[in-house]
Amino acid sequence: MGAHQNANFRMGEREMILITGFFAIIAILTYMFPSFAETNSDGQIDWITMPLVGFPIIASGVLMAFASMATRRRKRNIEMPIKLASLFFSLFMLAITTSLFFGILESINWDFSTFNSYELEFSYAWNTTLGVNWHVGMDALSFSMVWLTTLLLPIVMITTWEEKAGWYHHPLILMMGGALIGVFVSLDLFMFYVFWELTLIPMFFLILKWGGSERRYAAQKFFIYTFTASVIMLLGIITLYFLNDGSFDITELTRSSQAASDRGDVWLGANMQNALFLMFLLGFLVKLPAVPFHTWLPDAHVQAPTSGSMLLAGVMLKMGGYGLFRFCVSMFPDALVNFQWLLLTIGLVSLVYGSLVCLGQKNLKKMVAYSSVSHMGVITLGIATMEPLGFTAAIFMMFAHGIISPMLFAVCGSFKHHYHTLEIGAMRGLARHSPFLGVFMMFSWMASLGLPLLAGFVAEIAVLIAFWKAFGWWVLLPGLTLAITAAYYLWSMQRTIFEGGLEGELPESLHGESPVDISRWEGSGMMIMALLIVLFGILPWIVFDMMSGYSLAVFTGILGFGGV
Amino acid sequence: MVTEVQLFTEGGQTWEALAPEITLLLGVVMMLIIPNLGDAKWRIPMTQIRLPVLFGGKRFRATSDPQLPAMLAVATLLTALWQAVMSQSGEGQTWYLTSGSGAEANLMLRVDAFSRLMESVFYVALLLISVAMIDRMPAKRGKSLQMKQMINNRRQADFYILLLMSAIGMSVVTMAMDLFMFFVGLEIASLAIFVLVAFQKETPEGAEGGAKYFIVGAISSAVGLYGLSLLYIWNGNLQLLSNTVTGQIGLAEAWGTMDGVGALPLLGLCFVLVGFAFKVSAVPFHFAAPDAYSGASAPIGGLLATVSKAMGFIGLIRVLAMIASPEAESSTVWMMGLGIISLVTMTWGNVAALGSDNPKRMLAYSSVAHAGYMLAGLTAYGAWIGEGNDATTGAGEWILAAILFHLAVLVAFKLGAFLVLALVELDGQITSSKDLAGLAKRDPVIATAMFIFMLSLAGVPPLAGFMSKFLLIGGIVKMSLVDAASGVAMSDLHWTFWLALAVFLNSAISIFYYLRIGVVMFFDAPPEDRRKPLARAWYIRFTIWACLTGTLLIGLNADFLIEYCQTAAATI
Repeated sequence: MGAHQNANFRMGEREMILITGFFAIIAILTYMFPSFAETNSDGQIDWITMPLVGFPIIASGVLMAFASMATRRRKRNIEMPIKLASLFFSLFMLAITTSLFFGILESINWDFSTFNSYELEFSYAWNTTLGVNWHVGMDALSFSMVWLTTLLLPIVMITTWEEKAGWYHHPLILMMGGALIGVFVSLDLFMFYVFWELTLIPMFFLILKWGGSERRYAAQKFFIYTFTASVIMLLGIITLYFLNDGSFDITELTRSSQAASDRGDVWLGANMQNALFLMFLLGFLVKLPAVPFHTWLPDAHVQAPTSGSMLLAGVMLKMGGYGLFRFCVSMFPDALVNFQWLLLTIGLVSLVYGSLVCLGQKNLKKMVAYSSVSHMGVITLGIATMEPLGFTAAIFMMFAHGIISPMLFAVCGSFKHHYHTLEIGAMRGLARHSPFLGVFMMFSWMASLGLPLLAGFVAEIAVLIAFWKAFGWWVLLPGLTLAITAAYYLWSMQRTIFEGGLEGELPESLHGESPVDISRWEGSGMMIMALLIVLFGILPWIVFDMMSGYSLAVFTGILGFGGV
Repeated sequence: MVTEVQLFTEGGQTWEALAPEITLLLGVVMMLIIPNLGDAKWRIPMTQIRLPVLFGGKRFRATSDPQLPAMLAVATLLTALWQAVMSQSGEGQTWYLTSGSGAEANLMLRVDAFSRLMESVFYVALLLISVAMIDRMPAKRGKSLQMKQMINNRRQADFYILLLMSAIGMSVVTMAMDLFMFFVGLEIASLAIFVLVAFQKETPEGAEGGAKYFIVGAISSAVGLYGLSLLYIWNGNLQLLSNTVTGQIGLAEAWGTMDGVGALPLLGLCFVLVGFAFKVSAVPFHFAAPDAYSGASAPIGGLLATVSKAMGFIGLIRVLAMIASPEAESSTVWMMGLGIISLVTMTWGNVAALGSDNPKRMLAYSSVAHAGYMLAGLTAYGAWIGEGNDATTGAGEWILAAILFHLAVLVAFKLGAFLVLALVELDGQITSSKDLAGLAKRDPVIATAMFIFMLSLAGVPPLAGFMSKFLLIGGIVKMSLVDAASGVAMSDLHWTFWLALAVFLNSAISIFYYLRIGVVMFFDAPPEDRRKPLARAWYIRFTIWACLTGTLLIGLNADFLIEYCQTAAATI
């Protein structure tokens, strides 16, 4: 089906209505936006609430409702306009965040951070009886994640352009993007939790509708696992709410935590802070995922479609890392110091265990999933070093992994698409049959194992330096584990791309068909990601400075022993 | 504004206070009379003068219209709802209705924000049910009706009369300040509901469920009545509040001032609680519930899960919060027992729901689990009383408001889920989740609505179910943070905190079976006999839309309802 549908596209009456209606909605909303958009005390316009969070969710809802009302035949006709509209929206969002980044829209210097102060901060009353506010804002941490999300959305859409049932697929990706940005920009715990859970629903449907043969099991496991962890986090949120006279406001909570640590007190008492820290930590570690709680991830990744995997690995896992910084580090500094050993252990175990398990994998996607687990261990380690450089490296790791892992999964996805198997070794001599796929696979593997001049290397070397500063020669442990990473990647590459590949040695899963190379769409998506990986590998300071500023601000702001 | 009224005296005050109930009663009477109007005439003996007596003879076309009872019921309930809401708009009115004057004055009913809120909830639920039943129990018009159709038409009037009777009973339950009055209201409603459950006589399950429900219900009523008689022996009256004029000591004061816990009142209280526990389907008394829910037609199942349960909770709140509150002992006597019951109830409900394939039984068990959550709230309320009320300011009101909120929003999503089942059931009785398979292909809008109801039941934000669970847990946590000053340690927390954790872990279990419904609806092929699009049935669709709107709106902004519930909770 896939590629042939485009040929059937006709410009009918309904399609005209859809397109014109769509642009009419955009025009009206753009016209109305200035009236929604109040300016805050710094004279900034609210660029977050409507264009980055509200629009994508509303627009995808409208598009899917439109598609669900059409007959099957009609759906084929409106597929292209819907996909284009989704792409247009995601590019629109990317344009906003990029121009925010370069100071074109608002003159914001992201490199300069003060602890617990936010750019583009806006607050509207939502539920007055409970004291819930629609409170949004971004600092360097959340902005880097928001930028990553908007960067990935169009890439994911382009790479999976030919996915079947595109009239639901692309809007779901858009909705996912809106919910994810909602998580990153929320400065209200209630709102944060709402978006935190909202991200599950599009992902659940992405896995269920487009996933592999075991998709039901995987989707439900994914949903239940993360839901369970987040209800425990919700208990922590509610406790925090009542301990602070009914305030959900993250800035206020952080401020009182900061005030307590300035006085030399332990905010909320040592015991309670530890308990709250652990409740939040559980939610984030499951999302991240760290080792004892990681079992949902391989299942979800193996069964998820390419787009689902790309978003899951690219941004959704980063929600866990983001939460660690926003809550566990910024609000519970004393508990963080108390549980440094725990984070260190979990980080090391994730790193080592993830790599070792990778060595034994026969399934390409499962191997990549476990490599995600081990890279997320690097994030935990970066936090556990309690060094500004370690924090910066952890955030940069989130960013770099956010570009590299989608590419890994895009490669796996097209491998599966064209060779109908994911088994390592089932297809040998890929380079001969599908040269482009082989090149991209090799490139992304190299990026993931941390080849210098690529983005992953910067993060890894920075973590290792911070680790050396904090723990001395123990650095050999994570350092050697990164060698295992190289081992499993190289080994799988050898068995997939290079070895064999003589004429007539095609894998059985092809059933005698001749192997094909990646399509235009997949190729362009991967190309963009490859360029970005090189860009951030050579010029990491584009975002590194911003993250470094944030980490220093956290240390001077609350941890109080800046750069020991 | 507080007004004391002696029943049926002093001008129009009684009528004003009891306006919704009187409207309902008028509705019942009209429904008895109007379908029977005919052109019968009576000839005065010895003359040729024929006087029309209106009863009997050939029925008038307009008055014997088979859809008339439904319309009458809807109109009556709408009027009653309007009266109930309007009497509390602006400055809330409170009436104390007594039976007799001076030294013989017994406080029978109290009309206040609480009773008006619960009445409104009941009326809304019954309104949705009666609208949905227009499609579920279709009436046939026309001259050449067969006997079966005529009997079916006759059933219409019976059904709506019973529905309105249950509404009257429920209203009495919300207002009663005398346990005997309360019991009378409960029985009026229960007897009507027993019949409604058995009303679906097309299937053997209907009769079986009805019979089971009736037998168990009758036994638990008898036990409750026995408990009431023990309390009466102990105290000499069943008034909840003390009467300053007559010097009668109400149950609340008697309980608070007694020296230690007497065996007689404790036994009486336990027996009364058994009666209510059956209504809320708390665990050892829940066995009839799944059969009744799955045997009854789906809208009536929804009635059992929302309205009937709410009645039981009103009873529990009245008895536990008013009678068994301040006593000489240090902690409330029923707290530990209730805590255990709530834990067992929610866990059992969820585990049993995991294993039930029939969506109606699944919803029944999920309703058991929800009862457990609310009982956890009540336990925390008891703990709050035991801690001397002022340790955590406002926690008690918060918990009660949360329970009322939960009872109110259940009407949106629990009843909504049952209404979706009612729509699907038009193609044949639902016996397993396969009957819901492929619903998204047959009707994407209804399937989406059902999925949203399921998510709301599981407590996924930003839906109404999340708000209610949030408020409930919030109340428990607020209560357990006895000393909210800084430096509080986990070991200082009241043990009800762990009950909150149990509620959360249970909702994590529950997500599994709620999701399963969604998966089956969206990703399974429909069974052979259910491939056609769903029936049009605009009345049911309208009610589903109403429930969906409620679920979404309350989830997005619950401000007004929370405020209303807090006002109501403050008057208990």
